[in-house]
Amino acid sequence: MRIVLEKVGYEYQQGSPFSAVALKDIDLTIREGEFVALIGHTGSGKSTLAQHLNGLIRPTQGTVYYEDEEGRADIHGKGYSKKSLRRQVGLVFQYPEYQLFEETVQKDVAFGPKNLGLDKDEIDARVKEAITRVGLDYDAVAEKSPFELSGGQMRRVAIAGVVAMRPGVLVLDEPTAGLDPGSREELLQMIKGLHDSGTTIVMISHNMDDVARYAGRIVVMQKGTVVMDGTPREIFSRGEELERMGLDVPQSCRLSLMLRKDGFPDFPLCYRPEEVTEALEKLLGGEGRAC
Amino acid sequence: MLADITLGQFYPADSFVHKMDPRVKIVLLIVFIVGIFLAKNLIAFIPAVLFVILAARMSRLPVRLLIRSLKPLRFILIFTFILNIFFLQGNLPEGQEPTPVLDWWIIHLTAEGILQALLYSLRLIVLVLGSSLLTLSTSPIALTDGLEMLMTPLKVIRFPAHEIAMMMSIALRFIPTLLEEADKIMKAQTARGADFESGNILKRAKAMIPLLVPLFVSAFRRAGDLAMAMEARCYHGGEGRTRLRVLKCTWRDLWGAAAAVLMVAGCVLISEFVHII
Amino acid sequence: MLKNLIEIENVSFSYEEEGEPAVKNVSLSIPKGAFYAVLGQNGSGKSTLAKLMNGLYKPSSGTVKVYGMDTADDDKTWEIRQRAGMVFQNPDNQLVATVVKDDVAFGLENIGVPTEDMPARIEQALRDVGMQEFADRSPHHLSGGQKQRVAIAGALAMQSDIIIFDEATAMLDPRGRQEVFSVVQQLNRNRGLTVVWITHYMEEAALADRVFVMHRGEVVLEGTPSEVFSHADILKKCKLRQPPVTEIAENLREKGFDISSGVLTAEDMVREVKRLCASSWKK
Repeated sequence: MRIVLEKVGYEYQQGSPFSAVALKDIDLTIREGEFVALIGHTGSGKSTLAQHLNGLIRPTQGTVYYEDEEGRADIHGKGYSKKSLRRQVGLVFQYPEYQLFEETVQKDVAFGPKNLGLDKDEIDARVKEAITRVGLDYDAVAEKSPFELSGGQMRRVAIAGVVAMRPGVLVLDEPTAGLDPGSREELLQMIKGLHDSGTTIVMISHNMDDVARYAGRIVVMQKGTVVMDGTPREIFSRGEELERMGLDVPQSCRLSLMLRKDGFPDFPLCYRPEEVTEALEKLLGGEGRAC
Repeated sequence: MLADITLGQFYPADSFVHKMDPRVKIVLLIVFIVGIFLAKNLIAFIPAVLFVILAARMSRLPVRLLIRSLKPLRFILIFTFILNIFFLQGNLPEGQEPTPVLDWWIIHLTAEGILQALLYSLRLIVLVLGSSLLTLSTSPIALTDGLEMLMTPLKVIRFPAHEIAMMMSIALRFIPTLLEEADKIMKAQTARGADFESGNILKRAKAMIPLLVPLFVSAFRRAGDLAMAMEARCYHGGEGRTRLRVLKCTWRDLWGAAAAVLMVAGCVLISEFVHII
Repeated sequence: MLKNLIEIENVSFSYEEEGEPAVKNVSLSIPKGAFYAVLGQNGSGKSTLAKLMNGLYKPSSGTVKVYGMDTADDDKTWEIRQRAGMVFQNPDNQLVATVVKDDVAFGLENIGVPTEDMPARIEQALRDVGMQEFADRSPHHLSGGQKQRVAIAGALAMQSDIIIFDEATAMLDPRGRQEVFSVVQQLNRNRGLTVVWITHYMEEAALADRVFVMHRGEVVLEGTPSEVFSHADILKKCKLRQPPVTEIAENLREKGFDISSGVLTAEDMVREVKRLCASSWKK
C-alpha cells in the first residue's frame, strides 16, 4: 500500500483571524517497505504532516490517497471507513507513554485491536506478539500496571499498543525524544526490526546520526513545504544547505565537510562513522598522498 | 469547542478599564450583578445595558471578542428562552388577565410571558458580558492578586486566602497546557481506533476513560514537578512574601464606582416606578 | 574565601527506608566558577544527586554542604536554595506565573525582596538570558528553549551563584538545546556562574571542565572529558557511548595511526588529521 499526498495543504482555524498555514502544496508518496525520515525544525509542519497520513487531520486543500494494485481511494472520501484507515496506518505520537490508561499492560495494548472489533483469541495473540516485538518479556509485564514500569518500558508498551493493530505503515513522531543513549539505541533497533519484517516506517527525528543510520530516504521540511527529498547520501551531500537552514547534520558528515573545507577538498562525503574511519584510513595510510 | 472558552483569556490593551484596580473591578462586578437582579423589567434594564456598553467601549476590547464569549451560552440561551416563553405568564397585578398572543392546541403564549422570557435571557447575556469584561480586561495575575487582597480580611477566621489565590493562579497558568494535552491524547487514542463521537451517553462517557485517565496522570505528574520547582525557588507559603505588583486605587476606580452606583440606583428606581409587565 | 561551593561527602540516599539506595556513597566537590557535568543513563541516580545539592532531598547518610551550610540544617534551607538555583527537565512544569516577568519575580517574592528592588533585578536577569523582549508575554506561547531561559532568569534574579541543571535540555529540540547550552556557557564564562550540568548528551558533557559518570547510584568515572571518554568499555557498561568523533579516533588509533587521545569534537579531529599529514610530509 502506498500513501499518496497530492497538493495537500492545511490551515489551522481556517477562516478565523487566528488562522495559520501549517502545510502547503505537499506532493509526497510513501512507498511500501520504505524507511522514511521526516526532518525539519519544530514548527516546520512535520507533525501536522504525520497526522495527515492516517487521516487524523483532514487537509484543507488537496487529497490524501491510499493506493494499491486495485486502485486508489481518497481516505476522506465517502465510504472509506475510519476503521480500515487506522488498521492500515498506525501513528505513534511524541511521548506516547502519556496516553497509557489501563490497569494492566495487556489491557492497554489490547485497546487498539479491540477497537478494530477483532475476536478475543485474535486480540490475545496480537497483544502477545506486539509486546514481544517491542522487546519486552510478555510474562513479566503483561499483568503489571503500565505506570509501574520505567520510562523507556512505558514507551515500548505505548508503541506495542499501535503495533498490535498491525498497521502496514507505522508513523512515529520523535520516538526517541528524551531517552538516554542506551534506550534510544534499543528502541531504534526495535523499529529497524519492524521495518525488516515488512512494515513501512515513517519516522520524525531531530537526531541526524539516527537518521543517517536507519533511514533509506529523507524528507526535509521547512515552513510547511517539502524542500528536499532523497537518499541520505543525496540529502547530506547538501550538508551546507542543511546547516544554513539551521538543521544539524550527522557528526560524520560534519567532520567530512570540515575536512573538505580545510585542505582536503577530495575527502569523500561520509555520513556514518564507519565510512569516515575508512576514508581517513585511506587518506592517512596512503603515505600522505592526499596531503 | 475548546477554543471557545474565553474565560481566563486576558486581552491586553491600554485602556481605562484595563488600568483599574482589579479589587475595585471585582467588587464592581458583584455590585453590577446585584443591580441586574434588582432590575424587574425591561426598561429597568436600560441602565445596566448602558453600563455594559460604556464599560466595553472604555475597555477598547474588540466587540467580536465579547460576542464570542456568549457563544458557549447559545444553547442555554435558546433553551431558557423557549422554556420561559411557554411557562411564564409575567408578574401581573392582582386580577389582571394576561394578553394572549397565540392559543393553539397546548401552546398558550402571552405577551407578558414573552417579555419575561426576554428579560431572563437579557439578564443572562448582560451577566456573562459583564464577567467577560472583567476577565478580558484583567490579567489573571491581577485578578488573583485582587481576589487575594479582597479575601485577606478573612484570614482572621483562618481562611487560606493566599493559598486559594496561588491555586487559582497556577490553575490559570496550566489550563492552556492541559487543554493542549487533552487534544493530543484525544488524537493519540483516536489513532488507536477510539471513538469519542458516536454512541449513546453511557457509551460516550465510557469512551472518555482513555482520555481522562492519562490527563489526570499527567496533571498529577505536573503538580509534583511544579511543587518541587516551587520549593527549589524558596516558596514556603504566604508568610514573609513581598509582591512584584502592588495594587493602588486611583481616580479611575472612583469614576468606575460612581458609574456602578448610578447604574444600580437607576435599575432600582425604574423598577419601582415603571411597570410595563 | 571559600573554594568549593558544594561539598558532598560520602552521601547515600534512598527513597524508602529499606530500599536500594538511589545514590551510593558519593563524594564530590564543586569549586567556584566551575562547569561540571554529571552523565548517566536514566535511573543512574544523577537527578537524585542534583536534588541533594540544594536540600530538596536530605541525605540518608553523609553530608552535603552548600557554601559551608549543611543541607540537613532546616534553618538554612531557604538560604541554600537561594544560593543554589535549579532548572528542571520539563520546561512546562516549572514556570508558575502566567506572565514571564511575574515568573522571574516568583523567587524574589518568596525570599522577601522589597517591591521597589524587583523590576531592576528582573530586567537584568531577563537581559542576561536574552529574553528581555518577552517580559510581558505568556510562557505558554514560548518555545521550550525560551521557557528554560526564563527559568534560568528566575534563578539569576535571586542572585544564585550556582545553578544546577537537571537534564534541562532533555526535552528540547536541537535548536532549543543549543540556545540554552550557549546561554549557560556564556554565564559561566562571563559571569563566573558555577554550573552543575546533569545530562545524558555526550556532546554537552564534552564541553564541561570536568565530568562525573554515574551508574547505579555510584560515580564510576571522573575526570576531564577526554579522560572520561577514553574509557569506552566503562561507558558502554553504563549504557553510554563515546561521542562519534572519539569513536572514529579510537578506531584509527587501534589500526596503528598516531592519533592522540582526547579527540572529542570534529574540530579536534581536523586538527589531528592535519598534524598527521604534516608529519608524514616531513618524512
